[in-house]
Amino acid sequence: MTATHFDRRYLLMAAVGVFVSLIVIYPLWQVLFRSFLDAGVLSLKSYQKVFSYPSYYRALLNSVWVSCATATLCMVLGTLLALLVIRTDLPFKKTLRTLLVLPYALPSFFAAIAWIQVLGPQGYLARLVLQVFGFATVPWSIYGAGGIVFVLTVHYFILVFITVAGALERMDASLEEAARASGAGTSQIMRQITLPLVLPAIMAGGLLAFIGALANFGIPALLGMRARFFVLTTSIYYALAIPDFGLATALSSMLVLVALLTMALQFGIQRGESRFTVISGKAVHPSELKLRSLRYPLFLLISAVVVFISILPILSMVLTALMRYWGAPLSAANLTLQNFIYVLGFETAQRAIMNSLFLAGVAATAAMFVGTVISYLHVKARLKGSRALDFFATIPYAVPHTVIAIAMILAWAKPPVSLYGTLWIILVAYLAVYLPFAVRTTNATLQQVHDSLEEAAKASGAKLFPRLRDIILPLARPGMIAGWILVFMPALRELTVSILLYAYHTETIGVVVYNMQDAGYREIAAALASIVMGLLILGNTILRKLTGGVAGF
Amino acid sequence: MDKIRISRLSKKYGKVLAVDSVTLAVEDKEFFSLLGPSGCGKSTVLRCVAGLEEPSEGEIYIGATRVNSSVDGINVPTEIRPIGMVFQNYAVWPHMTVHDNVAYPLKLKKLPKEIIETKLKDALHTVGLERLSDRYPSQLSGGEQQRVALARALIKEPEVLLLDEPLSNLDAKLREQMRFELKDLQRRTGIPILYVTHDQAEALAMSDHLAVMNAGRIVQVGTPDEIYTRPADRFVADFIGLMNFVPGRILSRIGEEATVEFLSGHRLSVLDRSGLSGACLVAVRPEDISLSPTGPIRCRVEVRSYGGHLVDYKVRADGAVLRVQTAKTEVYKEGEELGLAVQQAILFAARES
Repeated sequence: MTATHFDRRYLLMAAVGVFVSLIVIYPLWQVLFRSFLDAGVLSLKSYQKVFSYPSYYRALLNSVWVSCATATLCMVLGTLLALLVIRTDLPFKKTLRTLLVLPYALPSFFAAIAWIQVLGPQGYLARLVLQVFGFATVPWSIYGAGGIVFVLTVHYFILVFITVAGALERMDASLEEAARASGAGTSQIMRQITLPLVLPAIMAGGLLAFIGALANFGIPALLGMRARFFVLTTSIYYALAIPDFGLATALSSMLVLVALLTMALQFGIQRGESRFTVISGKAVHPSELKLRSLRYPLFLLISAVVVFISILPILSMVLTALMRYWGAPLSAANLTLQNFIYVLGFETAQRAIMNSLFLAGVAATAAMFVGTVISYLHVKARLKGSRALDFFATIPYAVPHTVIAIAMILAWAKPPVSLYGTLWIILVAYLAVYLPFAVRTTNATLQQVHDSLEEAAKASGAKLFPRLRDIILPLARPGMIAGWILVFMPALRELTVSILLYAYHTETIGVVVYNMQDAGYREIAAALASIVMGLLILGNTILRKLTGGVAGF
Repeated sequence: MDKIRISRLSKKYGKVLAVDSVTLAVEDKEFFSLLGPSGCGKSTVLRCVAGLEEPSEGEIYIGATRVNSSVDGINVPTEIRPIGMVFQNYAVWPHMTVHDNVAYPLKLKKLPKEIIETKLKDALHTVGLERLSDRYPSQLSGGEQQRVALARALIKEPEVLLLDEPLSNLDAKLREQMRFELKDLQRRTGIPILYVTHDQAEALAMSDHLAVMNAGRIVQVGTPDEIYTRPADRFVADFIGLMNFVPGRILSRIGEEATVEFLSGHRLSVLDRSGLSGACLVAVRPEDISLSPTGPIRCRVEVRSYGGHLVDYKVRADGAVLRVQTAKTEVYKEGEELGLAVQQAILFAARES
């Protein structure tokens, strides 16, 4: 027997380390580095440019105030709905909850498109209002800051809803009962006991909504650029079109900085909340508040809200897809399936569907595979250095997708390795974008696998690869399948990365829908979007079945 | 020849010294237990032998092979150590049938199918699981899963069997039964066993030798009888079985006989080789006290509880409360005034402070 036995796990770690360096660390470093570079020398010129042109620093300010406004509205809407749906005796609470969460399963730029159809100058609701009230024009505009904040809120309030709902479900009911026993009425309990206790959850959800709004591209692109209202993500898109890489990377670095600061704040609140012992991990089935005479009026109100924010956009998308042409009067004679037939026979759309299926399938498989290895090294083997690996693989979570796309252009679109114009550069970007999601799922899955199961395999004489093949992977399989779908679905409908990286022949579904909408072929865009929507809702249902409702929306 | 030899084994977790210079040897065909309260480091010793933890210092031999040496940088991976191991939670793989679980070590050795099946039959027969071969672990009781784990550990014909609290998850009745089965299995197979437990009754019942551990160190090694009748220090005396401690003073010594005086003035002569003098602590097992109306030390029955094969008393004598166990033939009432006599006792140095 030799004196030293080489531990193959370090080989595995080195391989994954190289992978993470190539797809995450090197590209992101390029963004930061490039922002301080001017004609080959280090300088602050790009940042000077940002702060000396009003159109650029205004984009930064716009991003911040739009995200703040969105986060605030999300906190109000999300908290109110969570209180009503979780803590009261409203009828059909489960259905309401499912419907409320539904829009989040769809991409945000679908929401923008749908809301243009509903509230835009020729939108269904706009036309209805004009008819009923006889206005010359509708008293609102979906294009511009107001529309952006509205659609962002409708899309992201769910993040607050979910965190607050979770906190409410974990809250010990006896805290409220003690207040009642002390003589407090329902509204006093709400204001003095319940709300203060879930405040950290409200804040955490609000910050998540802030980050989401900050990083979003599709909504401000479809609703803002037409009104010359720019935020950071759309300014970056614009700077790349010039192209001005110094400016694009400087704006990107600032975007990442704001996102990181917010995330640090959110992390701090979560840690603070864990010290909050009254909200424990166990579900204690808190008592429901009796709404009495308000029960049905409130139910009607919430139903109206659900119909408005969840059902109306989907209906509108399908309806538009069925219209003979955009803006046609609503009558049976104007309904047709020809848009669907056209889209399915349209070569670019066919290619885009194949591209998206390929990208999403490969990205999901590779991300889950690498994610499992990283989780194994970090959660099970606990090798020295695996913590850093886990950290680096999770970094892209904090980086807006626009920035990841730029990083890929800087890193992988120049000799000797030029992937630009190929599907591979989009794939590399997808791997970076979805690796954090994969690692989180596999971390959670492998934490469920008790250490002794692997130790028993070691004691049985199994070396590293048999152990992974026979014990770890089979035991992690259900979680890995759920994780795969969790990556596949958003990748299938992805827009932000591919709109910046696509070329002729490498369009994705998102790119085609966006371009069709942008070029005015709204009913065609709607038809393709409806098909994808159907697939996503189906996938989501399968995912929920598969995981017993733990994953999915 | 020793099947396991551990010398000066230490394990540090950060600054915490979990195992402190442990040395012990397990002979062939021997049932050796590591016994101690939770957190005493006994499991860590076992896991070092298994190769699941790397010792900070020391050497470990399994058979003639040196599997660990901190000086020479040797740490043989678990998978090539000649060991079989059973875990506290059994660690039976839930996605494999009983057959596949038990056959797994042989499949890894790439043995021919017929040989695997023959050996598998033997192993399942040894633990009495022939009929359950096609079941999945979720369809088995705790005791049956335990046997699967045992069969899986035995089938690769290891040089030593390592058992980490294997009975602690079973209910009391089954635990008793498994004690005998384990002992019997070891007799039949002749395999040396290193057994970790916090249950002193279990260790006393099964072991040929046992080592009592406390705070990372071995306090005493011996046969169950030696440990029970001649505990090395107060910790062992207290940890193993029931023990009354009464303060006293050694008045004189003649040869191996010491005369002790209690605070009440009563005197007792004790067989003792400790060489102590002055203040001491007298340790008396409950069964070494007898009660009778005429006993020399007056006492009063405070609580009586029925223990099936014996009767358990708490009696008060000169301000001290003593635990006494007697055969059920002599039964006294609560509140009854009696006398007690101490048959034998052990002397320890008095508590500091």
